[in-house]
Amino acid sequence: MATPVLESRQKLLAEILMEKGIPIEYRYGKEFEDVADREIKNNPTPRADALKKLYLNSLSSVNVEFPYWYNREWRKWDGEIPIIRRAKALKAAFSHLTPVIWPGEKLVMGKTYYYRGSFPMPWLSNTFFMAKSDELYKAALERGSASSGEEAKFGAGGGNVTQDFGNVVSIAGKFGIRSEEVPALVKLAYEWKDKSVEELGHRYEMMVPEYDMKEKIMRSVICMFDSGFTLPQGREVINYYYPLAYGFDGLIEMCKERKDKVAGRADGDGLVGMDRLYYYEAVITVIEGLQNWILNYAKEARRLEKVTTDPTQAREYGEIAEMLEWIAHYQPRTFKEALQMTCLLHFAVLNEDAISGMSPGRLGQILYPWYEQDLAAGRTTREEVLELLQLHRVKFTCIDAFASTGVVGGVLSSNTFNNLSMGGLNKFGDPEGNELEKLILEAGQRLQSTQPTLSCLYDEKLPEDFLLKCAETVKTGTGYPAFMNNQVAIQFLLDQYAPEGMDISDARAIAIGGCLETSPCTWKPLVLNGKEYWIPGGAGQPTSVGVHFIANPKVLECVLFNGKDYRTGEQVYPPHNRKLETFEELWETFKEYYEMTVDCLATTNNIQHDIWRKNNMSVINSFLKPDCLEKGLHIGQLGYRYNATFNIESCGTITMVNSLVALKKLVYEDKKYTLDQMRDAMLNNFGFKTAKEIGSFSLLSQVKREGGEVYDKIHHDCLMAPKYGNDDPYADSILRLYEDWFCAMTRNYESLYGRKMYACQISVSTHGVQGSVTLATPDGRLAGTTYADASMSAYPGTDRNGPFALFNSATCWDHSKSQNSQLNLKIHPSAVKGPEGTRKLLELTRAYMRRGAFHIQYNVVDSKVLKDAQAHPENYRELLVRVAGFTQYWVELGKPIQDEVIARTEYEEI
Amino acid sequence: MDVKVLHHNDCLNFCPVDVAKGLCRRTNELTLIDSETCECYERLPKCKFCTNYVSTDAQMGICKAEKGEPWAYPEMIAVTCKWFSFA
Repeated sequence: MATPVLESRQKLLAEILMEKGIPIEYRYGKEFEDVADREIKNNPTPRADALKKLYLNSLSSVNVEFPYWYNREWRKWDGEIPIIRRAKALKAAFSHLTPVIWPGEKLVMGKTYYYRGSFPMPWLSNTFFMAKSDELYKAALERGSASSGEEAKFGAGGGNVTQDFGNVVSIAGKFGIRSEEVPALVKLAYEWKDKSVEELGHRYEMMVPEYDMKEKIMRSVICMFDSGFTLPQGREVINYYYPLAYGFDGLIEMCKERKDKVAGRADGDGLVGMDRLYYYEAVITVIEGLQNWILNYAKEARRLEKVTTDPTQAREYGEIAEMLEWIAHYQPRTFKEALQMTCLLHFAVLNEDAISGMSPGRLGQILYPWYEQDLAAGRTTREEVLELLQLHRVKFTCIDAFASTGVVGGVLSSNTFNNLSMGGLNKFGDPEGNELEKLILEAGQRLQSTQPTLSCLYDEKLPEDFLLKCAETVKTGTGYPAFMNNQVAIQFLLDQYAPEGMDISDARAIAIGGCLETSPCTWKPLVLNGKEYWIPGGAGQPTSVGVHFIANPKVLECVLFNGKDYRTGEQVYPPHNRKLETFEELWETFKEYYEMTVDCLATTNNIQHDIWRKNNMSVINSFLKPDCLEKGLHIGQLGYRYNATFNIESCGTITMVNSLVALKKLVYEDKKYTLDQMRDAMLNNFGFKTAKEIGSFSLLSQVKREGGEVYDKIHHDCLMAPKYGNDDPYADSILRLYEDWFCAMTRNYESLYGRKMYACQISVSTHGVQGSVTLATPDGRLAGTTYADASMSAYPGTDRNGPFALFNSATCWDHSKSQNSQLNLKIHPSAVKGPEGTRKLLELTRAYMRRGAFHIQYNVVDSKVLKDAQAHPENYRELLVRVAGFTQYWVELGKPIQDEVIARTEYEEI
Repeated sequence: MDVKVLHHNDCLNFCPVDVAKGLCRRTNELTLIDSETCECYERLPKCKFCTNYVSTDAQMGICKAEKGEPWAYPEMIAVTCKWFSFA
């Protein structure tokens, strides 16, 4: 979006704030004049670099191969038991995926035959394609006659297919599909009419008495999305254990034995005891599908081995074939085979469902047995492992997720959040941070890419050299690893999962799912060549589920306007008809509206998830996670060890807190303005044009309206009211008030599994979208612009007393009462220069963690670089930034989020 | 099925990268799908080349290999299909 052309009297918000001495792009500390590049730059191996460059040159691409075969098989088995029918459909789909091996690969396989491929799942969500069928057909027809010389345009948008070109049709400005596949896509969507989880869920959620309010809440974007059919799984930790320990043939044998034991027997469980037979049969069926899939790749590798003229490449194809032929049946023998096994399991789970945030967990600890034994036996070297870990990064960066379109763009910023955890403690309480984990960090430095993002489970016991390696990696500008407080996470897990039997040992297995979701895990004993190792892995349901992203400032807006959303003109909540004469009355009304919101979203989403578990249950992810194989039950039947994972997620916490603070100060205590004056200023956007009028939702682009000066004083006072992030007890007491209520309130709601929910406090990218639908707020923020990011980050430019003041504000409440909290800090590279700077960064992190904080992550970047990247995206295809729990290519972010990252306070001293 | 117009993604030597292009295994060059094929062209198994495929219109057809004669589409790659045979 271009900067608006200004008339002579118009001023940008940024200029006005600068005049007031509160510049929006605030720098703490002495400003550096010169543009500073990131300090540490290590290179990937040529092989890994070439494969990464292929990714950077690839478009996000969709085909319908998987859904076609799934649908074809599904239709053949009408009347079959649902889990068997689904397993047969999955087997057919995996068995028919076209194997493609790109030259130079040592780790192979992927979601589709495209390098950066994905596909829609109409059995989950189909209405978008039906609604858009005419549009897609028309585009396909036009594309069919377009010049074949048209080429994709790279640069702005990165690999996103932002518009139609050549024979390619853009879906939602993100994915490209070949025009000749569009008719099949639309036909698939119609074949699931009235049967998809989305449509069936909708039919039954309408029976919830609060449904009408829920729909209004969705239309007003107070809630961001329905989780039941958009991302029914994800933000969780996968478990690779069973295939790594037993091999696929071993698992089939295990299931056959179990079948014999349970067939026809309820064993005291009259509800689901008999279902165990069907479960084991379904698991055998999907494993056979996975074996076909792996062996199809092996066959392709053998074909390429024969036809390739380059002897080195031909030999490598032969090695790939040999590796796949083995792991299709047996326990991996080497580190490379084990790593390949984890990759294919990851892709298999991601192809089973629409999933975002499937985290590999503590991969460096899971694979350590092979690493240790290979090194000891001279079967590998650290250099070879380091290259394989770089290739693993390429494979994971290529993962794309086709969720509903609004979710992929508006929430996820195209990211897939495969978060690899490291550090923490082992089962016996001893520190991790092993040698393989340090190589994972090194690979992350050398091959800088978005996936897997890395998280350090910070514990006081961790070795100093490991922590310094983490800090050094952050300095390369990758935004990873983020630091999560291991002990705070353990406290949260014990509190939430003790009723399901969690003890301190299992709590120590913690890993992060998705951006920064504390996830329940467990340990399993793995025997390799006679030696036993305890390896961690996921043991809980998804945490991407429940009530997702409530726009806190928008709820407050509705309180101030008697339940009405002025953007849509709808009466969202029943009018409260209160005068709101005291702050306490305002706060009570806020809580009432909020609880109404949670209640109607919880019940309607519970119905969607119930439809999902009945018709679209997980088979693959289920057999991987304890204790499904032991119990003979899938996820929907509480087969997992930990099931209390549904959560209630907020957005815009700090914008809401600052707004409450301003109202308390200016309206209720100082009585400088009446509530009506405040409402008038909000409706009139403090005298500024609306974001819609100027065509930009960026906070840097907002323009004063002619005659808008009448709101100057109130705007000034709102901006100057106390703000969170300055160690100011006045402002921080409101945060404490909110957190104490919010974290307790969420426990009053129950998921479909009969387990209590809990608080989740991250923003991902929703602070952009939900900000765009929110009026101006009493803290002085203008209409349509982003909220403060994350949940503990200060609003850009308002944290003026340095990082330690910010830390004190952020830790005024007990973080272990929530699944997470989130703080992003932007630091100028010069502030952490050299080995001394690395130590300073670690000490800064340590200071925050010791105050009881849960999470911190850094952008080590000069804002001047970001501005230049915005102006010249073609020069910055590889620039990475940390957004809110994830690292993303700068060019693949929307402009409002880019502007928000630029505007974040830049710390030039720490 | 009219299969006169051939694209690079109809060729066994073409390694798809995305919806616009792929790598030619013969030349190791990135090649646009919709550019003209060369003398190295080797037919890739696709439904439109299969004896079992019967088109119902330009963009859709049926697969006669299975009893139910399910619908199919011409551009489907069939390297993993047990019923595929070149027409």
